Amino acid sequence: MDLAQVLPLLLGLAWLTPLASFAAIVFFGPRMGHAGKGAGYVAIGAIAASAVLSILALIAWLIAHPLGGGHDAAHPVAAIAGEWYPLAVAGELKIAIGYYIDGLTVAMFAMVTVVALCIHVYSLGYMHEELHEVTDPLVTLANGQTLKRRGRFHRFFQYLSLFCFSMLGLVIAGNVAMVFVFWELVGICSYLLIGFYIERKSASNAANKAFIVNRVGDFGMIVGLMALWSGLGTFSFDEIFQQVRPAGHGPAAHGHALTVPDGMVRFAAREEIAAIYQGTPDARQAEHAIREQLPGWRAEGLGYGLLVVAGLGIFCGCVGKSAQFPLHVWLPDAMEGPTPVSALIHAATMVAAGVYLVGRFYPVFTPEVLLVIAVVGCITLFIAATIALTATDIKRVLAYSTVSQLGYMMLALGVGGWVAGLFHLFTHAFFKALLFLCSGSVIHATGTNEMPRMGGLLRKMPWTAGTMLVGCLAIAGAGIPLVIGLSGYYSKDGILAQLYSFAGQNPSYAWLFYVAAGGAALTAFYMFRLWFMTFLGSPRDEHVYAHAHESPRVMVVPLVILAVFAVIAGWNVPGTELGLQPLLEQARPLGTAEGASQGLFLPTLTLPAEHLSHAHEIHVPVTLLAFSVAVAGFLLAAVIYWWRLLDADVISRMFWPVHDFLRNKWWFDELYQFLFVRPVLAGARLAAGIDRVVIDGLAHALAGAVRLFSRFDDWIDRLFVDGAVNATANVTYEAGLRLREIQTGAIRQYVMWVAAGTVGLFVLAMFLWSYTLAGP
Amino acid sequence: MINPVAEPVSLMHYLVVGAILFVCGVVCMTAKRNAIGVLMGIELVLNGANLNFVAFGSPYLQSGGAPSLGLDGHLMALFVIVLAAAEAAMALAIALSFYNAHATVDVDQANELKR
Amino acid sequence: MGIVFHTVLFYLLAILACGFAVAVVLSNNIVRMAFYLVACLGAVAGLFFLAGADFVGALQLMIYVGGTLVLLIFGVMLTARGPLANIQTSRAQWAMVGLIGASLLAVLLYAATTAGKWTHSGQIVADRSHVSKPTATPIGLALLGVRADRLNAERTDAALGKGMAGYLLPFEIVSVHLVVVLIGAAYLARARRRATTPPMAATSGDSNNLDPGD
Repeated sequence: MDLAQVLPLLLGLAWLTPLASFAAIVFFGPRMGHAGKGAGYVAIGAIAASAVLSILALIAWLIAHPLGGGHDAAHPVAAIAGEWYPLAVAGELKIAIGYYIDGLTVAMFAMVTVVALCIHVYSLGYMHEELHEVTDPLVTLANGQTLKRRGRFHRFFQYLSLFCFSMLGLVIAGNVAMVFVFWELVGICSYLLIGFYIERKSASNAANKAFIVNRVGDFGMIVGLMALWSGLGTFSFDEIFQQVRPAGHGPAAHGHALTVPDGMVRFAAREEIAAIYQGTPDARQAEHAIREQLPGWRAEGLGYGLLVVAGLGIFCGCVGKSAQFPLHVWLPDAMEGPTPVSALIHAATMVAAGVYLVGRFYPVFTPEVLLVIAVVGCITLFIAATIALTATDIKRVLAYSTVSQLGYMMLALGVGGWVAGLFHLFTHAFFKALLFLCSGSVIHATGTNEMPRMGGLLRKMPWTAGTMLVGCLAIAGAGIPLVIGLSGYYSKDGILAQLYSFAGQNPSYAWLFYVAAGGAALTAFYMFRLWFMTFLGSPRDEHVYAHAHESPRVMVVPLVILAVFAVIAGWNVPGTELGLQPLLEQARPLGTAEGASQGLFLPTLTLPAEHLSHAHEIHVPVTLLAFSVAVAGFLLAAVIYWWRLLDADVISRMFWPVHDFLRNKWWFDELYQFLFVRPVLAGARLAAGIDRVVIDGLAHALAGAVRLFSRFDDWIDRLFVDGAVNATANVTYEAGLRLREIQTGAIRQYVMWVAAGTVGLFVLAMFLWSYTLAGP
Repeated sequence: MINPVAEPVSLMHYLVVGAILFVCGVVCMTAKRNAIGVLMGIELVLNGANLNFVAFGSPYLQSGGAPSLGLDGHLMALFVIVLAAAEAAMALAIALSFYNAHATVDVDQANELKR
Repeated sequence: MGIVFHTVLFYLLAILACGFAVAVVLSNNIVRMAFYLVACLGAVAGLFFLAGADFVGALQLMIYVGGTLVLLIFGVMLTARGPLANIQTSRAQWAMVGLIGASLLAVLLYAATTAGKWTHSGQIVADRSHVSKPTATPIGLALLGVRADRLNAERTDAALGKGMAGYLLPFEIVSVHLVVVLIGAAYLARARRRATTPPMAATSGDSNNLDPGD
């Protein structure tokens, strides 16, 4: 069979299997085994099937398109695009359930399903409390008691299945409309899972916050989609890319340079077009004239702004979903959800979807947009890394770490490192899922999130500690420089190398590189701070320490598997070029390999081609630098939290303004509270007041009048209408009762009455008509 | 003083006898609680009426040009007799049935429909 | 003025009829009542003969005295067992009945005694020379639809000759009616099993529901 037929089938099945699991659990979840325990197995079975199918698809892809052809940009591997089902056609607007499959899609499928499978298995152990009645100590009811509720084991897996379906749909989507649908679906899954412990006020607040903040980003995304559609007239990725990157156009060596599409140029030049139509009576001639004019207009830059708007809009959505700088506030709060959810949705997959979408839309972005992406990513990585330095909640440290790493990815994408950014996405997914699951294991064992109450857990939980150490090393980018390293070593080096290359081309933006390099030191510091505080030293809380225990095997095995991936994800199969990085290199969108396109508004900005960063003179110093800053971060953490040569409290007191600033998360929440939440709440309160006083008053007055009138009407009804009817009935009834007395049923009495009546008639007749009776 | 025996019998005499029979029948119907007694009262009433029919149809009791029922009176009386026989049979059957059901022929007991 | 035997016979029979009728009313014994009724009806039959209605009188004797009364006596015998034979009527009711009866009688007698005014002359002449003619033949013809008696008179309508003024149709109706009634009576009075054991206290408790057995 043809690959173009096999892959949609395999991936489509892999995509729909979790949906089947979701539907089954929705309808039969509570009846699946004891307390819905079977629901977990159903969901695991579904995601395992998905994973198998995805890996089959990956193998099929690799067989059909063997890696190792070098950077053969001249003969790119074409994506497989098509439609499964045309959903609706309205004029030019066509919405279909389609697919767009390239190396990135296949790799994402494999990564998402494998990570999800590990997390599903892990959840089986982590969520076992939900199998019976749960007492939630964090929720106090109005009567002062803690909440007791029924377990929601099946519901958890139901949401997980729905999420897997949505995430895979987002990855495989063949057009922007479908992307948007699944974009929102993963959003709602995130909402549902953050608010899994819905009775906790903090959880429901966090769920609302995540949803609302994402709406802000999605608004921008809709703007971008509208700009795209109005300019291009299609939603399909394939057609968008063909219009934006036409073959053989532009100065770049291999063509596929960024070109403003005709539709956008026409939109920008609508006045000129109108003038031509007015001047030329024949429509065909006018159209011909317009076509002749188009290249000229394009050269003038007409329509370029629209393309920038489209790119910025789409990036807006990604900012929301990937928790980038202005909208990053929701992700740390999202840690209110169960830890497996944090690992799957808020670390490995969903938040990476923003990065994935930037990567997918990469051909559409102009250099200006890419610069915005880079700057936003840079700011994000720095802010998040600094906040992570002082956070004490183990999951929040990881959450800020996630935000920071997402910033790295965005930054890499923004400076032209398409492969570097997405490579980091994959490696990060593995080690961040691992880190979250380890933290979940710790929380599961100790019953607390606060690191100051932990310590010395290494002896109690060796497996967790070991795997978490692997995760920390991976995220810090540990390795033997220039020889071998963990997965983070490769991906982070790729990013820094591209940044270095970029800084070399654009000295005015060199600060991006320095911030990123400093961020690497911060990353190492806060990760090892976390690890030291949790696992080394003496127990700070004896009760917690006594309570702690190693997690069951069902939770440890996924940790080990993910740890293995965290180590090897960056490696190629020895002796070949079979690895993640070459696969992504192969999947690079057309026309982006040569990153030298220059923006209209920023003519001095130059995006270096990514393969330049592999050059020896860039690669070696950057690797050494990255390693040294990571070691510096590690040493600092060790000095403070392991060897305790320096007291953390003393330092924090010494730098108290900075410490307070960071402890309060740069006062972002307070700022937003002041800028947006308070005014909105005040406005809402005002509107509510108006509603209550004016509108409700009117309505109540009207209702009162109607009630008064109806009471009057009711009175009339009762008194007159009912009265007349009842009176008639009563009279009839009474008369019947009276007349009934006469009907004694005694025959002899009747005879007597007949006789008496006869006599009476005779008497009457004799008085009145005596002549008639007695003759004339 | 008129000697009643010397006078020829007139229509009035028959009517008086019929009236007495009729009233006796009515009283019998009204006063007797026995269903058979009531039935006898009915027979008396019918006989009183029959006597009047025959009297009106009699050729002996009329003056020459006076209208007379003639044979029609006889025929009416005949029909009345026949129907009285039928009625007696029927009423007796009813009485028997009532007796079978209630073990009495007291008509005052026949008031179940009133309740 | 000699004694008119016709009148004497009339008075005799009239007194018999009225007396036995009153006896029927006054008697409490149902068997005696039946006997008085026989006598009364026989006397009435005699009055019919006196009025020249020989056929009607004969039928009165045959059907009433011979048939209906036998039926009545059978009814008495079938129903009147033991103390049930006489059921007393209260004095108040008697008074009421008497009052009504008296007033009715007064009205009827008034009507009867003024009947003389119905004729033109007010004089009723009995034709002594009249020879009694048997009425059986004209009655039979009338029942078959031929009014032979009317044909003799001066009125000769075409309808009379054609028999349209006769009683053929009523005769037929009455005969069918008789058949129906007899079948119905036989059906109603047929012996039923539960008749032998009448239900105890099926009616309300205050009824004097005496068991025939005691």
